[in-house]
Order: sequence, then structure tokens, then C-alpha cells
Amino acid sequence: MSTKRTFSVGEELAGPVRGITNERIEWYDSAMLSACMNELRQVGSNIHTDEAFARQEGFSGINADGMIMTNWCSEMLVREFGLDYIERGELRTKFIKPVNFNVLLHVKARVKEANRSASGGMEYVLDVWCEDEHGTKLVDGDAKVAAAA
Amino acid sequence: MLGGYISDLDTGDVFEPVEYTLTAFMCSEYAHGTEEQSEFFHSAHNPAGRQLRPPTMIHADKMLLLEKNCLKEQRISGMKGPDARVHYEYHAKQHSAAYVGETLVVTGRIVEKYVKRNRPYLWYYMEVHTKDGRLVTTYNDRTLLRYRPEGVAA
Repeated sequence: MSTKRTFSVGEELAGPVRGITNERIEWYDSAMLSACMNELRQVGSNIHTDEAFARQEGFSGINADGMIMTNWCSEMLVREFGLDYIERGELRTKFIKPVNFNVLLHVKARVKEANRSASGGMEYVLDVWCEDEHGTKLVDGDAKVAAAA
Repeated sequence: MLGGYISDLDTGDVFEPVEYTLTAFMCSEYAHGTEEQSEFFHSAHNPAGRQLRPPTMIHADKMLLLEKNCLKEQRISGMKGPDARVHYEYHAKQHSAAYVGETLVVTGRIVEKYVKRNRPYLWYYMEVHTKDGRLVTTYNDRTLLRYRPEGVAA
């Protein structure tokens, strides 16, 4: 008998709750460049790190790279579904509003569908989103995970 | 058109592929940069028994494709185009895990270049396979080529 946790329709999952800081923005952008080049790199000027440049491009100030929030959503799915998500999962995120410096971000998900598969596992469909401390949705998305039996 | 700025890319453009060997540093550093502490991405001490690539690293693959195919706007090298690009949608489907030590081949194309609410967008489609042909990730990405609407001065 499987000891895997199962999820019910309507169940809410809570991911990280983290503030958007200059350091976190720099960590992601530098790490992404480092991963690309297989050596440590430091991010330069862009709309995520340079206030003047961000304003010149039409933003109200520096804003977080959307992939920071996507990674925090993914972290929640890795924690809840493990290899089932890493090997067979699907995640979509839409960056519907700029996520500005100093916002406190809450990563959340809700199980929308939970169906038994022919192989005896579970197939989940989830709404996934990030909201600020006032409950305003800044990132919207969904996910699918086929959990093996 | 390949070889220019990202905004020169057009519907139907097919990228020259990128190939690289996945290292422990790449996986761990990418995960570290997002505070992802799962042992899957930092060592082999996890249920898979091998260190894995974070599923979201497809975004780094996109940057590698652009670096190779948009020579006037090589973002990894610090070059900027005429406008900042803004990521609008990430949509990755995993088909298998990728392991440290495997050689990965990244392919991609522009599905569509279009304008919505006076703003130009690119829709990318990408695939990552291992060199021996196993499908790892398929990916759709929509990116805004310019945040300021047409006709609004900087």
C-alpha cells in the first residue's frame, strides 16, 4: 500500500513567504548567468538591478525577475510532490503585474482536480499563484502532476 | 531573423541548437540562487540517487539559445538591446529528469511574433533532449519585447 500523501480537491498548499529584496534579485540573476556559463558570474545593469534604467523603460522602479517567483512556485511543488513533479510535472506562470522591491510575496496553490489514473496513481491539476501581503495576485498560473502509485 | 537583436527574431525562425554537459555546479548554483534547498539539486543524497537539474533551468537554456542566435544582444555577455525585454509567461512540461553528467541539446523556434495592446511579444517553443535522444523538457515562453506601449517616449 502506498504511503504517499494524497491531496483533495479544494485543498490549499502554502509555499514560501518571502520579501522581494535587492539581494534576492541579485542572487537569482547572478545564479542564472553562472548556471549558463558554468562559472561564477555577477549580474550587471538591467531592469531588475538598475533603478534609473527600469524607470527609463517605463517601470515605476526596479522589479523582480519573474523567474524568481516561478522558482518559488516550483520549490513548493518539489516539496509537495518530489520526483513526481521533477520527472513528469508541468508548471505555467504568468507575470501579470510587476513585482516591485520590498513586496512580501506569498506563494500558494489550490488543488482543482484530483483523479485516479489507470495505473493507480493520482493526476492532480492545481491553480498556482503568488500574491502580495494585501492579497493582490501578482503571478497567476497552474500546474499538473501525475503522481505514481 | 537570427544574428541580430532579440527584437529582430520573427515567426518561423529556427534557432541554431545549443549543446552542453550538465554539471553539479550549474544545478546547485541555479537552485542556490532561488533559495531552493531540496537535496535533489545539490547532491546525490536524495531518493533519485543522482543530482538532478532543477526543472526551471529551462530558462537558462533560453538565455543560451539567445546568446548563440542573437549576436547583437548577448545578454549573458552583458549586451543590451534597444529596449528591455520582459518575461510574461513560463510554461514548462517535464518528460524526464536530467542528471549531472548528461549532455543536453537545446532546440527552439519562434512560434509567433505578435502585438497585443500596442506591445510586441515573442512566443518561443523549446525542447531539451539528452544527447542520446531522451526528451527532458518542452517549453513555451512569451516575452514582451518592450514594456512601454508604442508611441510612449522613454
